[in-house]
Amino acid sequence: MAVESSQGVALEALESQAAAMRKVFTEAGFELVAPAILQPADVFLDVVGEALRGRTYVFTDPDGTELCLRPDLTVPTARAYLARYPKADVRARYCYDGPTFRFQRGGGDTAHPREFRQVGVEAFGHTDREKMEAEIVALAIAAVEAAGLKSWRLRFGDLGLFQALLGALEMPERWRARLKRNFWRRHAFRAELERLGKGFGDGDFEVPGELLDALDPADPEAAEEKVAAHLESRGIPLIGTRSLSEITARLLDQAADRRAPPLTAQAVKTIEDYVAIKAPPKAAGARIDDLMSERGVDIGPALESYRRRLELFREAGIDLSVAEFSAEFGRNLEYYTGFVFELEVASLGAGSHIAGGGRYDNLLAAVGAPHEVPSVGLAIHTERLHLAVEEGL
Amino acid sequence: MADKLIIGVPSKGRLMDRTLEVFAAAGLKIKRDGERRGYLGHIEALGGAEVSFLSAAEIAQSINCGRVHLGVTGEDLIHEQISDLEARVSLLKALGFGRADVVVAVPTCWIDVSHVSDLEDTAERFRKAHGRRLRVATKYLNLTRRFFAEHGVTGYRIVESLGATEGTPAAGTADLIVDITSTGATLAANNLKVLADGVILKSQAILVASKGADWSGPACEARTELMARLEA
Repeated sequence: MAVESSQGVALEALESQAAAMRKVFTEAGFELVAPAILQPADVFLDVVGEALRGRTYVFTDPDGTELCLRPDLTVPTARAYLARYPKADVRARYCYDGPTFRFQRGGGDTAHPREFRQVGVEAFGHTDREKMEAEIVALAIAAVEAAGLKSWRLRFGDLGLFQALLGALEMPERWRARLKRNFWRRHAFRAELERLGKGFGDGDFEVPGELLDALDPADPEAAEEKVAAHLESRGIPLIGTRSLSEITARLLDQAADRRAPPLTAQAVKTIEDYVAIKAPPKAAGARIDDLMSERGVDIGPALESYRRRLELFREAGIDLSVAEFSAEFGRNLEYYTGFVFELEVASLGAGSHIAGGGRYDNLLAAVGAPHEVPSVGLAIHTERLHLAVEEGL
Repeated sequence: MADKLIIGVPSKGRLMDRTLEVFAAAGLKIKRDGERRGYLGHIEALGGAEVSFLSAAEIAQSINCGRVHLGVTGEDLIHEQISDLEARVSLLKALGFGRADVVVAVPTCWIDVSHVSDLEDTAERFRKAHGRRLRVATKYLNLTRRFFAEHGVTGYRIVESLGATEGTPAAGTADLIVDITSTGATLAANNLKVLADGVILKSQAILVASKGADWSGPACEARTELMARLEA
């Protein structure tokens, strides 16, 4: 049965909880903003991806404009910032409190209502990254505690470490991109890693090996002619938007993959061992350090940033005894680029985190800013928080 | 209480013809009430049942919300239209006709794209070159999203297409398609190929029961009788 937030949860309790959290945020210097609930579907969905689109209420208005009910508040807040500062050259700290909408099977339940109230913050343009990240986590904790939550667990991950590891291992740049792209999807990631470790043979490509071998990356024009001749000899017409040169460019990559030595067993193992790391924050740092020195891999600055962030966590009074680092911990939104975290309570189980957030440095550029802007944020799922507080956790 | 067992039967085309054949062969001849174009019917050998002639898509919807007890429709529609399949539907019997695959198909000239795993890289480069995501034309919004999510494909947008989907890449309104095909001839005629691992679903006509329908009273008995005859 469908659960309306106004029925499932006492409105008054939700309101006082949200007010307590707004107070924490505004006192920390975050300006309260109210971004639009109705969003242009195109801009929004281009950023969040088709997977979330499947859970977004999208509709067409009488003018034929495609709109959606916002499935989160981060993108609308980023758009509001950009409307105010089109050059994206000003630091800003915003907080918000409002409804968001996501499809849930069968109308949802009390922990997963389709209309839910999100309270959160976004910080744009702060260049001291670790400092802002620690501040955001501390704020999330202060907010849920102000709302009455007594115990929670912190889980976090760091895409920066993984990127540094890939950068330090010997492989073509496009292989790094492939691994990065698949990082959030365990199954696809394993398959990709296995493929790169095995090397590429004839079975991996549709076009004959002779054609690939004949393509010279130094002479793309000649390569294009060969590809055109191949298509013509098979009677395949060129249709659609992708041009001959785009098709040839990927074939040149495939030719290079065919020639490249596979990823070394040592490199594959190092990536696997890194991804498997899941430990309390300090121990995790030590294990990463040990692994990298043992394999002779230098990811110095990323590890330094990890340690500095931990130090700042400690200074901010965050209880690290209930925290855990997980190398493959990810969030399902495509726009995260670095540090990510969630606050959970045991009783609501996995997939029902109470608060979550992280770094998303590409988002503002994706919605129209002239350059990338360092951005960190957090969002609190207030209905779930209310459930957890009610249970006296 | 449900007085009658309501059976949704496809209202036109081969799907209707073959369904009537299967029922008739089991001694369950379906008769249309009133004029030729009537939308209700009955089965003489099964007094407790009433037949409702609907489009295959309406049957899937009616099963979903419990408006009919049983229905004959395509597996593709059941999987596409019902988000919570296990909770809503019992799959009673595969009927062996209406076989077709829901597939991912791309222009044949994409000789650099042979597997689903090629799509994400292609999408990323496409976005750099054309400033937009790859567009996938389909009527199977949910099947497409689920399949692509499982395979780590994210750089695309769906363009809803309710007819002549296979023509959209050549027309430039989409870049690739997810569509249903039985022989592949229409795809080939439109210069499209199926990716090596691009079969999303092997579909055929099936008889399904709605878990959400009212099963109290005579409907339940009529179902038992119907199934006994169909399985005999």
